[in-house]
Amino acid sequence: MNVDEIDAQIRLLAAGRRLPPSHLARWLAMDAASRAAMLDIARALRLRTGQMVTALETLEEIAVREDLTVAGVLDRAGIRRIAAGPGSAPARASAMLEALRTLRYPRLKQMQEQIRAEISALKLPRGISLLLPKELGSDDLTISLRVRSAAELARLLEALGQKRPGLARIIEMLGGESVKNEI
Amino acid sequence: MKFDLDAVFVEHGCAGSALAMRILRAIPRDVPVTHVADAREVSRPASGERDPFGAGKRRMVIGKRKTPFLMPCPAGSSRFACCGYLVLTLASNCPMDCSYCFLQEFIADNPAFQVYANFTDSFDELDRLAGNARGRSFRVGTGDLADSLAFDSITGISRDLIDFFAARENLTLELKTKTDEIENLLAVDPRGRVIVSWTLSPDAVYRSSEHLTASPTARIAAARTVLDAGYGVAFHFDPLIAYPGAERDYAALIDELLDTVAPGEISFISMGGLRMTPRLRGAARSRFPGDPMLCGEEVLAADGRLRTFTPLRLNLYRTLADRFRKAGAEIPSYLCMETASVHERVFGAPPSRPAIIGERLARG
Repeated sequence: MNVDEIDAQIRLLAAGRRLPPSHLARWLAMDAASRAAMLDIARALRLRTGQMVTALETLEEIAVREDLTVAGVLDRAGIRRIAAGPGSAPARASAMLEALRTLRYPRLKQMQEQIRAEISALKLPRGISLLLPKELGSDDLTISLRVRSAAELARLLEALGQKRPGLARIIEMLGGESVKNEI
Repeated sequence: MKFDLDAVFVEHGCAGSALAMRILRAIPRDVPVTHVADAREVSRPASGERDPFGAGKRRMVIGKRKTPFLMPCPAGSSRFACCGYLVLTLASNCPMDCSYCFLQEFIADNPAFQVYANFTDSFDELDRLAGNARGRSFRVGTGDLADSLAFDSITGISRDLIDFFAARENLTLELKTKTDEIENLLAVDPRGRVIVSWTLSPDAVYRSSEHLTASPTARIAAARTVLDAGYGVAFHFDPLIAYPGAERDYAALIDELLDTVAPGEISFISMGGLRMTPRLRGAARSRFPGDPMLCGEEVLAADGRLRTFTPLRLNLYRTLADRFRKAGAEIPSYLCMETASVHERVFGAPPSRPAIIGERLARG
């Protein structure tokens, strides 16, 4: 396909999905290879409108962050593996968006994994749950107890007391005191 | 530094003011001057402009301010630990063009560069403030809706301000800038009542985001010069941008600063992480689509602003605070638009009340 044909196909797909005009304009403003790569993946994964909007925005920002083209981002092994891999188109679409989000927020993802690993290592008893702030957007840690009797309350409070050093460490991590990676 | 002007507009009744006459004498002859009945007509976004906000920066409007000049800092909120800063609005907008600037949202509907011919009326407001609170000290700055010194070579406002503040025992003026336009400052005696502060960013941020500003090295050199001329100096690491490599670059910037200005000579430092409402981010991304500093790891925080996710942001604050602490002097420091809990995590102690912080910073 030549460039005009690719642009015509993009317009057709955008019209079919009712992609907002601003996002169609952003797509068409990309370099030719990126326009074509985005078209390929949108078709292969049968991206829905919202997914296309998210993909376009996230891809643009990754490209700016990493000084790459959108085609360069989509050519990453991890993305290509998802696009060409097994599974249904919707499942692969979700997996691709998640992979893009990891590329867009690499240190956030790493930090979330570190904290979740700390939480797992605590092996908290059933009835105690820890809720992290959404996308680590604050330094609050919410600790919930679910009890049905005074005895159960006593047992969970004692367990919490025993886990105090581990909990303190998670609170410190939320406050950035254990950020391992060089920023 | 010299900034371009496309046009100057003078509101009816302001042409005879000292400020207008000063400006009209100083601007290049090829800049058209138009007299208008109402400054508001020419302060709004110009229709047909591709970038109305950017165009507004090059359109100077000399008008009369009809609302008070003095107000509490608009960033203040009971949600945050505040610094007790008072804002004196003597101009609106800025000829420099930082990609992250909040003015892109705050004055989007009113983007012309406005200066107020009746600015000396603000002195009455300041005298009332000082007279009503004897025994207290206040820090008053002009660098909120405008850079304090950009266009000072044309307006000469800094001299009037410094003369006024130099004679007031309980008022301290803060001139906040990203320029090295300090010539007017060197011609007057601040008598210990004036602090000049610079926003400092690493070279990577300066080159990517701080268009038309003086380089960080030039800002530090200007600080040294005004310090030697009897001014206090302060530095704002705001916005702190947590790009990959930021920790190393900010540490190098602090080292460069402390090589030129000793810790004991710094009146205070402030830090504030990059924060943008979604609307501001949209405006900034559309004006500066290629700036990677606008594509950091910001997430939606409880105050509705996009901020660097908390552990990364706090780690960067702590890195800077530690670097200054290790330099061997207790430099008064505060965080801008952060909660008391963040303040405590960074500095190890809860913040004082805004009035107390304001007083401490005003006394230097």
